[in-house]
Amino acid sequence: MIRFVLRRTVLSLVVIAGVMVITFVITHVIPGDPAVNWAGPHASLAQIRQARISLGLNRPLWSQIGHYFWGIATGDWGTAIRTHRPVLNDLFGVVPASFELVGAALIIAAIVGVPLGVLSARWKGKAPDQLVRLFAVLGVSMPAFWLALIVQLIFAQHLHWLPTAGEYDPSFAYSHPVPSITGMPVVDGVLTGHWALAWSSFTHLILPAVVVASYPLGVVTRLVRAKVLETSEETHSQMMRSLGFSERAVLGRFALRLAWSPVVQVLALVLAYSLVNTFLVEAVFDWPGLGNYAAQSISALDVPAIAGVTLFVAMVYVVLNLLVDLGQAFFDPRVRLA
Amino acid sequence: MFRVRNLSMAFVISIGALTLTSGGAGAAAASKTFTYDTYTQVMTAWDPATEYSNEILAMQQMYETLTRYDATTKQVTPLLATSWKSSNGGKTWTFTLRHGATFHDGRPVNAAAAKAAIDRTIKLNQGAAYIWGPVKSIAAPSAYTLVFNLKYAAPLDLISSSDYGAYIYDTQAAGTADLAKWFAAGHEAGSGPYQLQNYAAGKEVEITLKAFAKYWGGWSGSHYKQVVFRVTPTASTAAQLVQSGQVSFVEQMTPQLFNSLKGQSGLQTTSTASWQNLFALFNTSYGPMSNSNFRKAVASAIDYKGLLAALKGAGVRTPGIVPKGLIGYDPTLPQYRLNLTAAKKFLKASGYSGKHPVLNLTYTQGDNNEQIASLLMQSELAPLGITVKVHALQWTAQWAEAQSKTLSARQDITLMYWWPDYADPYSWFVNLFQTEKSPFFNLAYYSNKTLDAQINRVEQVLAVDKAKGAALYSTMQKTLYNDAPAVTLLTENYQRVLIAGIKGYVDNPAYPSVVFTYNLTP
Repeated sequence: MIRFVLRRTVLSLVVIAGVMVITFVITHVIPGDPAVNWAGPHASLAQIRQARISLGLNRPLWSQIGHYFWGIATGDWGTAIRTHRPVLNDLFGVVPASFELVGAALIIAAIVGVPLGVLSARWKGKAPDQLVRLFAVLGVSMPAFWLALIVQLIFAQHLHWLPTAGEYDPSFAYSHPVPSITGMPVVDGVLTGHWALAWSSFTHLILPAVVVASYPLGVVTRLVRAKVLETSEETHSQMMRSLGFSERAVLGRFALRLAWSPVVQVLALVLAYSLVNTFLVEAVFDWPGLGNYAAQSISALDVPAIAGVTLFVAMVYVVLNLLVDLGQAFFDPRVRLA
Repeated sequence: MFRVRNLSMAFVISIGALTLTSGGAGAAAASKTFTYDTYTQVMTAWDPATEYSNEILAMQQMYETLTRYDATTKQVTPLLATSWKSSNGGKTWTFTLRHGATFHDGRPVNAAAAKAAIDRTIKLNQGAAYIWGPVKSIAAPSAYTLVFNLKYAAPLDLISSSDYGAYIYDTQAAGTADLAKWFAAGHEAGSGPYQLQNYAAGKEVEITLKAFAKYWGGWSGSHYKQVVFRVTPTASTAAQLVQSGQVSFVEQMTPQLFNSLKGQSGLQTTSTASWQNLFALFNTSYGPMSNSNFRKAVASAIDYKGLLAALKGAGVRTPGIVPKGLIGYDPTLPQYRLNLTAAKKFLKASGYSGKHPVLNLTYTQGDNNEQIASLLMQSELAPLGITVKVHALQWTAQWAEAQSKTLSARQDITLMYWWPDYADPYSWFVNLFQTEKSPFFNLAYYSNKTLDAQINRVEQVLAVDKAKGAALYSTMQKTLYNDAPAVTLLTENYQRVLIAGIKGYVDNPAYPSVVFTYNLTP
């Protein structure tokens, strides 16, 4: 186990270093001068020259890449051109909101998707199965931004059931600073006993989380259905039936257990994928997350911020993959770490 | 199935509960709070000496300048200075400061403080500090008298009204600490009607300002006591927020959404011409566009009215270069209109008729107005046998291509916005049309010695005689019409949506998108 962890850690570091090099090279071959963005719209030539020096862009490329690597290692991920703040500070500001949104979406996907998958398998070919499959296909294929606009229009604009946008009711910010421990208002509200904040944040989280959940929900539902059906045909399931277990017990207690491993794998990958790919949902719901930050940085050609987001997401992918592998080996005795 | 039914019931109940508690939460915000909805983050920098971006929205609430320009009357009005006069042929300007004004930390706003602030801005020489270029020295001969000695005559009353770089701030606010670092940590040191209450970087409610109790203007009468800046990147969400009363003012809408909100109960809409011009700059140094008749042919083939119609009210036409509300605006100036007969005549005179010239046009990627203008120009020039290849580039790439040292690598037409940093059209002429050895912002590569001399003279004329200055600006615009190094495609319109109860809102293009909240009545 220790050898496996060490080997994967070294490999992960190599992958991250590769991502850093590729990111650095790509961001430096894009036409245009980041110093122009830094200096502002009507900046003079002298001001742009000064900005170039301040940003270290006047140094040779090998020196810049060396400085970049050293900075990453020592916690200096550069300064964002758009916000003029350290990239790492910006990321610490937006990542919790993304984890809160994507985390909530994955919980919804698991809680709703797994029972639906089992239900679909149980009634294979019947009306419930057809309905669930249609629901799953819609979830996977419907563009998230469109769904976001639709649910916002229905549940916020017309029915007034849920808030239109934002992380919590802005009036909390009017009176005094909102407590921040984790950067996730729902959690912070609970941790500090600020129940009004927790409730407000929770209601604000529902619509964006449901929209972000639509894709993984469809995937999980289809995956669970397929895995349960596959397992239910195997000999040990037939044996359970012959021993008198009900169909519900065979599917729910035995077949489903074998479906968890791929479901966890998919959820882990979707988590990393969704961190930046929810930017349209974040934009519609004013969600101050990583996707929104990445989209705005790309629009502004903010090279240090784009590189920071890329690196961060690569790290999340690598770490999650490692954790999933270790988790599988730990929980499933059939999996051997080599 | 029973369990599923139970879950469904629980879901419906929970949604019902939410209905009772969450509906209209934002609308319940105190009526004395003005919520400004913008599409991108407000604060990039906190230093009033160097800020040069969207910060203006909040800075103009927290800080004040010596004077303010009123675009409706075209007059400079008092703010921290109550009166001013020029002497010595416009080379000396004396400002008398207001008594009783204090910074938010309690220190008085006097001549020494104002001198220290402007001296620091000049010394840092970042952002819009160049506006103080004419200043040789500043003196504070008495507590409330501020004297500017200039290197050359300049309209300092307009400069001191600038939207950027002209703030008066307390240079002592950080005590013994480094002032720049103190600002960078998210502090302010202004004297404006509102002071910083809370700042949450990257959040949708980014800044909250509260009333400054000791503001010199006082708080009698009805004023907003709090100003909140909320960031909403999506226009449709912003529309819903203002419809439900969760925000008071929306800075920018798409023309379609704006038109759909016009006349809705509970809302008011305003449409005001900005000072932001969209230019098509023609390459006067290389290729077909170096021929003035060819440029005039292109200028006469553009359907300007059609462009405005396609933009659904997002722009208006300006005769010449200077928009309405600025000194130098002249409605009698000639302007190019769609006239295919004239276009064909100019094309024939240029010698390019029947030669099927190909033009490269660049515009800034993501700008809807520029994209529409580019595509319309492409289709309108096709009947003349002119092929336009349209390239959408990031601004930095567009600019880099335009500055290429290889003449053939430069574009033939580039679309670009320009706006002045203070209420004076000088910025357009000196940046876009004065001769440059190597191109910086003069991306038409235009060179005209007569115009250069006029540009060098116009500010000195304006400093002592505004009417003569305005007449000279008209002459300069006629020169540009005759040479056609560029055409003004449109002047952008500000389309704002406000909740109905707000009184006293006036869009002042001298301060783009700024709402002077203190002047509003809730």
